[in-house]
Amino acid sequence: MLLEEYKDLADYCVAEARRLGAEYAEARVHGGKGTGFLLKNGEPQPSMIDDSFGIAARVIVGGAMGFGATNLLSRQKVKDLTATTVKMAKSSAPLVKERITMGDSKTATKKLRVAEKEPVEGADPNWLKSLLLEIDRSVVELEAGAGGVRIPNRIMVASAGVEEKYVVTSDGSKVESRVPRFHYFGILTALKGGDTAQRMIQQGETGGLEIVKRIRLLELVSEEAQTLVEVLGEAEKSPTGIMDVVLSPELSGIAAHESVGHPQEADRILGREGAQAGESYLSRDSLGMKVGSDEAYVSDDPTLAHSNGYCPVDDEGVVSKKRQLIVGGKITEFLQNRSTSSLLGVKNNGSSRSAGFDREPIIRMSNTFVEPGDYATTEELIKEVRDGIYLKSFTEWNIDDKRLNQRYTGLEAYRIKDGETTALVRAPVLEITTPALWGSVKGRSERLEFEAANCGKGDPMQGIPVWTGGPDTLLGGVRIVGGS
Amino acid sequence: MMGPDESNKFGVGVAKRLGADEAILMTAISNERMARFANSSVTVTKNVKESGQVVYLAKGGRRIIGSSSNPERASLERFIELLYKSMMSLPKDAGYVPLPKRGRTYKPRPSHDKKLEGAEGLLADFVEEAIGAAESAGARRTAGSLEAGVTSHHMMSSTGTVGSDTSASILLNIRAFTDRDASGHGLSCSSTARGFRPAVAGERAGAHSKMMRNARQLDGEGKTYPVLMSPTVASNLLGMVGEFASAFSVEAGTSYLVDKIGRRVASEAFELTDVGKGDGCLQARTFDDEGQPTQRTKVVEGGVLKSYLHNLSTAKRFKAKSTGNAGLIEPGPWNMEVGAGDSTYEEMVKEMRRGLVLTSNWYTRFKNYRTGEFSTVPRDGTYLVESGEVKAPIRGIRISDTIERMTSSIRLLSKEREWVQWWEVDTPTLCPWVLVDGATVTKAYGESPPQGS
Repeated sequence: MLLEEYKDLADYCVAEARRLGAEYAEARVHGGKGTGFLLKNGEPQPSMIDDSFGIAARVIVGGAMGFGATNLLSRQKVKDLTATTVKMAKSSAPLVKERITMGDSKTATKKLRVAEKEPVEGADPNWLKSLLLEIDRSVVELEAGAGGVRIPNRIMVASAGVEEKYVVTSDGSKVESRVPRFHYFGILTALKGGDTAQRMIQQGETGGLEIVKRIRLLELVSEEAQTLVEVLGEAEKSPTGIMDVVLSPELSGIAAHESVGHPQEADRILGREGAQAGESYLSRDSLGMKVGSDEAYVSDDPTLAHSNGYCPVDDEGVVSKKRQLIVGGKITEFLQNRSTSSLLGVKNNGSSRSAGFDREPIIRMSNTFVEPGDYATTEELIKEVRDGIYLKSFTEWNIDDKRLNQRYTGLEAYRIKDGETTALVRAPVLEITTPALWGSVKGRSERLEFEAANCGKGDPMQGIPVWTGGPDTLLGGVRIVGGS
Repeated sequence: MMGPDESNKFGVGVAKRLGADEAILMTAISNERMARFANSSVTVTKNVKESGQVVYLAKGGRRIIGSSSNPERASLERFIELLYKSMMSLPKDAGYVPLPKRGRTYKPRPSHDKKLEGAEGLLADFVEEAIGAAESAGARRTAGSLEAGVTSHHMMSSTGTVGSDTSASILLNIRAFTDRDASGHGLSCSSTARGFRPAVAGERAGAHSKMMRNARQLDGEGKTYPVLMSPTVASNLLGMVGEFASAFSVEAGTSYLVDKIGRRVASEAFELTDVGKGDGCLQARTFDDEGQPTQRTKVVEGGVLKSYLHNLSTAKRFKAKSTGNAGLIEPGPWNMEVGAGDSTYEEMVKEMRRGLVLTSNWYTRFKNYRTGEFSTVPRDGTYLVESGEVKAPIRGIRISDTIERMTSSIRLLSKEREWVQWWEVDTPTLCPWVLVDGATVTKAYGESPPQGS
């Protein structure tokens, strides 16, 4: 990798920015190298190899922020980049009404290296192709006993790569990291007569190729395909009305991400993402506010081993830590970076991440989840329900930009009768406000599971790897509307 | 450091030396300037200069694609050697189609607006103009982004195709607020500084933010309404037909347009065209990623699906011709045009009698791409129309429908059209106001109190 070769350019960039008058300067040499393979309906497509590498500069001058990036890595080009970045920040200062400061976050000097048992470099195109063909065969083989359900459309992408960074700041942080990742994405479309069901599958972790076995990727995709067969073959019309609903870890996770993690990003609360990703139903005074039942506990933890959102030191060179977002239904912490924590006068919890050298670091979630509870098993939690729905997986979802009005459409979902799951039901929809959802939490199981996701935010858009997760979560008396 | 043409020539030479049957080198150089603002205050200025190279190699029916951001000679050589070695470890690729034997030459025509190159000098004035117009129209605060940039593509293939082209655009996305529940949205998207209208976008956002004060929830649940969609909303929902028309999506089963060529998929009034280059195109391209000329492709004409969008590989399987929309793996639209109608906005509101006006939306997600079932969340200016007049601002609704049902229920389109490209609209789309009947409107269970200021 090129990191070692170009670290001195980052150091030079910070020194040059300071010489030109920056109050704060930060530079990041950031690259990624990976191999991907795409299978469409069992047919291999051309393999893809990516190698991206460049430098980002960020400065504060006269209370104004400037960001610049390039992959043209000569000393002269970096000098030009730094000068343009400082100049643009300076000239924008008259339009800055809220002066930006980066505060005095605790700096870090670290070298981070995520361990791999089987290095991701071993994932050449042929290895990835063989893996996907094996998964694809396992899906196709299901058609034999599927009662007329076919799965003719199968998109599968597997990729493995390494992200490397060197972050240096004018207040003394120097952080170098190497994070390998494996990622799988698939869309399966099942047909029966004129009926169809579709499932998007996403899995991802940090580490080496041992991930494939650890997450049981082959079995997992095959199980998802079998679920589509059952949904088309067996699912009944969903009941509607007010009832108890049990959310699986997958549903608990997406709800935690969308309606707790996002609205508790301090930059949204302060309005910085107002034109694109939106703002928040919360204000800077919302700490301590009760938004859920006593059973509602949600956290975000960038330090989880193997996690897709692993980021123990952020891209502003600040050590990250677990964030307790909701404790016993009360808002306890926002996700912060240097400037928001400085503005709000709180401790920075190191939530700033960037998707690549050409993107500014902004506040991001890492691994956001509902904390596990004390019901030993899913079944024990379901026993609490006389008449309701167990939402195990979902398809369509969305939420308004203040994060108050959300919708999750079930894919694998079961009717619960007298404490037991009975029939599969088709496409029940939970469309609910954030206070109603978190206010209805009655219990949580002990198991904690995660799903991989790619979270979008920023302008230009930055997709960033995260986990969403949780236990099974019991919601008491919420409304289900019918799907098709 | 090599220039793009030298770099392409060197790369094709390396590929040939290694023994590749075919090679394409495409170098894209972009130079972007951006200013973002929130609470009517500039939050960051950005300058990003990038040079990226895409390499395509083929040998004996095998194919591989690489993308690199390292333009140094030695690095490019090593990268192509790695690609070649990786490709040779693979079996033959059933989707391989040879490049046409005769290469083409695309002479560069510097028709883009040079004012948009390194345009940091323009940003401050335009931001001030947009914010000022929004505040004059009633906004208490604004948030937004202004981005100006130029991108050039330089191509060379082993079959003799050589070309370069350049496009430029300037995009403003502004949102205005009078309180946290009352917001308005405005866009101005242009390929020239002269055609850019920051004050119009700001004024529109500000006016909606004022009109949205004291918005109320809609009575009832799961009802259907006629909806009058602004160009911003219609570009998001109807412009997606272009994505669904990609032959790759059709093959992958992620399109509701499977097996529908020649069939009615929309009201007769609906026309959708993919445009490679032309007046106003924000993403103008003369040639595609396989070196084929871009063109105007009628996707939907008179409500009938006329064509999918193809590259060479999908065209062969569909027994069609490339429409110049490569994507080496996946063909896709360049710029979309929704055909104009003959109505004005005022006539459409009057004609609707009772329904909803939607001026912006976000977070469109599909339950099933094969059926086109989706939901989306209207935001900013959203109004109830009664007796042919805009009566009340509305909050907290969601549209749940299918794309085909909506395109098949188009009643009217406006004469006036606008270019739209922003967070929710990737493919630049020239789009009118569109009146659609029978859209299903839902809302969330539970209290959703107004947020105040």
